[in-house]
Amino acid sequence: MIKLENISFDHCIKCTVCTIYCPVARVTHLFPGPKQSGPDAERLRIKNPGLVDESLKYCTNCKRCEIACPSDVRIADIIQDAKWKYVKKGFFRPRDFFMSRTDLAGSLGTIFSPLANFLFSFFPVKILMDLFLKIPYKRSYPAYERGTFRRKFKKLAARQKTFEKKAVYFHGCYVNYNNHSLGTDLVRVMNAMGVGVELVREKCCGVPLIANGYLEKAKKNALFNISSLSGAAAGKGLKIISTSSSCTYALKHEYSHLLDMDNTGIYNSIEYVTKFIFDRFEEGARPPLRPVSIRAAYHSPCHLERLGGVMYTIDLLKKIPGLDLIILHSECCGISGTYGFKREYYQISQDVGYQLFRRIEEADPEIVITDCETCRMQIEMNTKYRVMHPVSVLAMALGDER
Amino acid sequence: MERYETQAVVIGGGATGAGTLRDLSLRGIKSILIEKDDIASGTTGRNHGLLHSGARYAVKDLESARECISENRILKKIARHCIEDTGGLFVTLPEDDPVYHNELLEGCKISDINAREISIKEALRLEPNLNHNILSAIWVPDGTIDPFRLAASNILDAKEHGAGILTHTMVTGLELKSGGNIVRAADEKGNQIEIRCDLVINAAGVWGQHVCSLGGIELKMFPSKGSMLIIDYRINNIVVNRCRKPSDGDIIVPGDTVSLIGTTSREIDYSRIEELRVDDDEIDVLLEDGEKLIPNVSKTRALRAYCGVRPLVAISGETMGRNISRGIVLIDHSERDGAEGLITIAGGKLMTYRLMAEMTADLACSKLGTGGRCRTAKTPLPGSEKKISERKNVRAFTGISQSVVGSTLYRHGLRVQDILKRDKKNYRLICECEMVTEGEAEYAIKKLDVKNIIDLRRRTRIGMGPCQGELCAYRSAGLFADFGIYRPEKSIELLYNFLEERWKGIKPVLWGDGLRESEFTYWIYEGLLGIGEIKFDDDPGDGDGV
Amino acid sequence: MAYDCIIIGGGLSGLTCGIKCAEDGLRTAVISSGMNSLHFSSGSIDVFGYRQGGGKVYRPFDYMKETAKSNPAHPYSRIGSRMVRESLEFFNDQISLAGISLHDNGDENHFRITGLGVMKPTYFSQDSVFNDKFKKAVEERASIAVLNFDGYRDYYAELTVSQLRKNPIFKRTGIITGKVTLPFYTRTEKNLHEFRSIDLARVFDTEKYLPRIAEEIKRAARGARVVSLPAFIGIDNFAQIHKRLEDLTGCLIYEIPSLPPSILGLRLDNALRSRFAALGGEYSGGDRVNGGEIMDGELDHIHTENYGDTRHRSRFYVMSTGSFFSAGLRSGFNMLDEPVLGLRFSGSNRRSDWYSAKFFDRKGHPFLKYGVETNKYFNPFGSDGKAVKNLFCTGAMLSGYDPIREGSGGGVAISTGYFAAKRIIGEMKKNK
Repeated sequence: MIKLENISFDHCIKCTVCTIYCPVARVTHLFPGPKQSGPDAERLRIKNPGLVDESLKYCTNCKRCEIACPSDVRIADIIQDAKWKYVKKGFFRPRDFFMSRTDLAGSLGTIFSPLANFLFSFFPVKILMDLFLKIPYKRSYPAYERGTFRRKFKKLAARQKTFEKKAVYFHGCYVNYNNHSLGTDLVRVMNAMGVGVELVREKCCGVPLIANGYLEKAKKNALFNISSLSGAAAGKGLKIISTSSSCTYALKHEYSHLLDMDNTGIYNSIEYVTKFIFDRFEEGARPPLRPVSIRAAYHSPCHLERLGGVMYTIDLLKKIPGLDLIILHSECCGISGTYGFKREYYQISQDVGYQLFRRIEEADPEIVITDCETCRMQIEMNTKYRVMHPVSVLAMALGDER
Repeated sequence: MERYETQAVVIGGGATGAGTLRDLSLRGIKSILIEKDDIASGTTGRNHGLLHSGARYAVKDLESARECISENRILKKIARHCIEDTGGLFVTLPEDDPVYHNELLEGCKISDINAREISIKEALRLEPNLNHNILSAIWVPDGTIDPFRLAASNILDAKEHGAGILTHTMVTGLELKSGGNIVRAADEKGNQIEIRCDLVINAAGVWGQHVCSLGGIELKMFPSKGSMLIIDYRINNIVVNRCRKPSDGDIIVPGDTVSLIGTTSREIDYSRIEELRVDDDEIDVLLEDGEKLIPNVSKTRALRAYCGVRPLVAISGETMGRNISRGIVLIDHSERDGAEGLITIAGGKLMTYRLMAEMTADLACSKLGTGGRCRTAKTPLPGSEKKISERKNVRAFTGISQSVVGSTLYRHGLRVQDILKRDKKNYRLICECEMVTEGEAEYAIKKLDVKNIIDLRRRTRIGMGPCQGELCAYRSAGLFADFGIYRPEKSIELLYNFLEERWKGIKPVLWGDGLRESEFTYWIYEGLLGIGEIKFDDDPGDGDGV
Repeated sequence: MAYDCIIIGGGLSGLTCGIKCAEDGLRTAVISSGMNSLHFSSGSIDVFGYRQGGGKVYRPFDYMKETAKSNPAHPYSRIGSRMVRESLEFFNDQISLAGISLHDNGDENHFRITGLGVMKPTYFSQDSVFNDKFKKAVEERASIAVLNFDGYRDYYAELTVSQLRKNPIFKRTGIITGKVTLPFYTRTEKNLHEFRSIDLARVFDTEKYLPRIAEEIKRAARGARVVSLPAFIGIDNFAQIHKRLEDLTGCLIYEIPSLPPSILGLRLDNALRSRFAALGGEYSGGDRVNGGEIMDGELDHIHTENYGDTRHRSRFYVMSTGSFFSAGLRSGFNMLDEPVLGLRFSGSNRRSDWYSAKFFDRKGHPFLKYGVETNKYFNPFGSDGKAVKNLFCTGAMLSGYDPIREGSGGGVAISTGYFAAKRIIGEMKKNK
């Protein structure tokens, strides 16, 4: 059956530009590139699903091909879709299951955080995980916080009510389980701009589920999030902001493109945080900022590039006094969510990021700034630099006092 | 002057000519085929590629219906790699006369066509892209057939049984006399050829009128033009017919990677058969009616439009295209015109090419007084010898994408083993849209009588995908030079001619993404490569021809 | 007002405009959807290559003056040859600041060699493209080795040579063809024979391979003094790589653009984007401007696909969204328009008028001349028929010229982009 919703491959005029910008095809020839795996092969797969070539598994869904495409072909979506529709074998399900349930793993991890963090960094455990779960032992994992961000937020919630303007914060799994301080920084920044933060009930946005082929589960999460967000935010005309570029992309685009969910009710409300800040600043709600005097290199994540949101982050960073900013060449760090956590892709993931790591080292900043949590993991593992979120840098400029 | 001697000369390299050549060769009769252009370049390659079940004729023409279903069953056995057993539907739209539905079912029953009424739900399950407002549906054993491969396989088998073939060779004279006929011909370079033979078989289709006239014999052909539209990908996986009296735009056939909307019918004068073009209003009709069957037609890129001429023989006084019998016309000119050594085979349809060949060869044998019995109903074509196991064949190759092996297998059947020789250079893709490798191109150029890039396209589908030759045309030209087939200058000329030939089919549907594609192709070949500035020794200068 | 200037479309024209604006200190953003057509170009900048009635143009600025009289609606006629020249000088300066040295021939065109061995007139070329230096060597009877890489499917040296031999310049030149093999690179999982120009450019960019490659080139060149290679001698460091290869082989090496992707064009694109960023310009590549509102002869705001109802505002706007190919213009079943703002369009709505009977018709195709109509300042007209004063249209989306037939695409893109920037800068100063 031909899925008529996604016929963007029909617009492909075979210009080959996507082949230049695919980071995977650059480092491995196992992947024939976005043109061949995407629009070219799609016509054949429609004719006969048996003609699918398994090599499309190597796609990381970074979407750089889509950014490059002058014909508006949703190349990465086509490949993702084909991966789960036609390739039936060659996936390691026990690990993929565990990996894609970031909220499940997260809730367990935060309960037993000291133990979990110890185990995940304990070498013999990593060897065992490599052997049995095909998770490369060289890989370092994000540490779990104690408790969740949502619990922590309860203490801040009362103050939020005092603001006239409000926005809903979709914190995502990473802030909830692994990085509370980004969440609290966000609240501080928002408050400084005169905006109160609200949380609504949410589930994992679904990015890891989509990446691992659990589309039904992802649809359930999407349905939950759409109804929760549209009730609480869009219904009241509030913006929904996220500090994760990948969550933003999923809520805005992948829900409709890959999961066939109707997200029109929330589409216009969802914003990546720096765009929201940009607009508030333009409206004049720019809080006094203190010089941070720090030398930083900025790495733009692929999905934020795809959203066209990089210019807002850069704009924000440029407005922070005393921030000596180096903008790194725009390229993929290689981790692509759970991709870099899999043994069969680990080397590709490292090779993709290699150039970025070298460029960071050449720039030799004090910190690296990036918008994406998995980019952060990748850069911290492969370079000696500390990585911060733009919002945290902005929070730094706000000063210490509440 | 080249001179040959043979038992039979077949004029015309369409399906009928190719089938006749094969039939004669399998019976041990020495034959040579002459074709003025390329195999399947005329009417054979210019239809919608439907493997008729016969249902289309079951209401008005029971004889054709019976012929179709019987040949349908034979072809499914002997030409596996040229056909796809997709099944077909006849659907009634709200504006159609519901009576036709019952007439069709009744006709099918009489003609032994296994047609059955199915529920609308079932029809939509079989073909989800179908118009949801249909009133009723009939399933019929329609399928699709690739006329290029069919004709080429027949020729290949004939050659493997000793036949000779001369393509791009025009018959210039016919001397019919008892005790030895002479066929004179000239190839594109102007070389003169003379063949002495016992029997001349005129299988030139609509051009048969001209062939006869060379021998001083009058035969009136009645050309009727049919136009079709190709769209970028398969919007349907099952043949969709409109359940009403035959008229324009009543069928959508999934042909290989594309879908075809057919067909219009327009009378034309015999003098115009070389300069056919698709009219703008035909496109309008095809799109409008196509959209009624499968609404998505309007959202899909139209790749090209083309037209063919139906080879109808006007034996009686009929003058209307659709009313003229499409039946087989076999003429022994010794009875009709006193020309002992000439047979004309005409009329019929692609579906009945084998039957026509059988009838022709039977007559030829009786005239020659030799030859055995027809074996073409049982003997599979080369590549279809055994049932094709996709998985087994695809797995046999490593280091090459499964999509590529699968596509090659689809096109050449078991001959895939001769084509992909486990050499990386041989594996490289030349046409990225249709996944044609250098190995396949080389096989076609060296084994399948390919003389230029247009011929190569008919054998392999190079340049038939969405880009219509944007990258592969240049690469193919390079290959002709690389293999030492032509001088590089000549290869560039082939490239030029190929792009002009593609343009003929593109321009009637030049809008949207197709226009963008053409702008890009023009940019590459004119802007980047400067092909327009090259002067060729013999300027092709062909106008707006077929 | 957030921006002084938002430029829709990040191609040759948009980026030139953006660089000029940013250099002048304007707050400038470029919103580009998809990569520009430099990626498929020859990488040379054509200014005026062919005369209206056929024949080559040797002195493009002189021909511009002729055109100003015969065709006052041509973009060049509106800008004037002096300003065109100024814009090209500006472009050259900016590109050289990004590390690419462009060759020009003063007032005259030079001739680059195409993959089919045709000599096409052009104005700027990268130093590594066939120019007078190479021509001089040829005239001094140096022999040429036209080389390809073994298995590279997007270039065929024999085709180039077959036409070169017909050219009087090479009449007395010994030309051989040959193939360079990369034996050390065959042990990849991928089919080496499926490499595109970009894959090979990366092999060159990995500089450790250069000595071996040079050795292979020398072997294949069989003593020829001048060597022709398909254009993929590196991307980022190509100038050094080119020089090193020449040193290592002792040959003069020039590049011929092959099928897309174009490495020569990619270098220009990289250079323009890095200049724009260095001057503080803001660039967004993943979003698409899909509409805007024109009120009272001014473009009030625009919006994009990813930011739905957000209104992006700027004092001035430039549209350089390209032709049909780049989706700056749109064609449908018997209709033509400019899809973002619905600007007044020049062209016939009957599709049989759009094309010529032959693909390589000497007259070209009418649709290539179609585009947006503007006044003499390149302000387009809104649906109310009024000129939109704070919006400029530049580059391939403009009507009234045929970039390919005239060989004027690069020059019009640069000069109209530059012209718009100058207008905007002037207006900004006036308003202060």
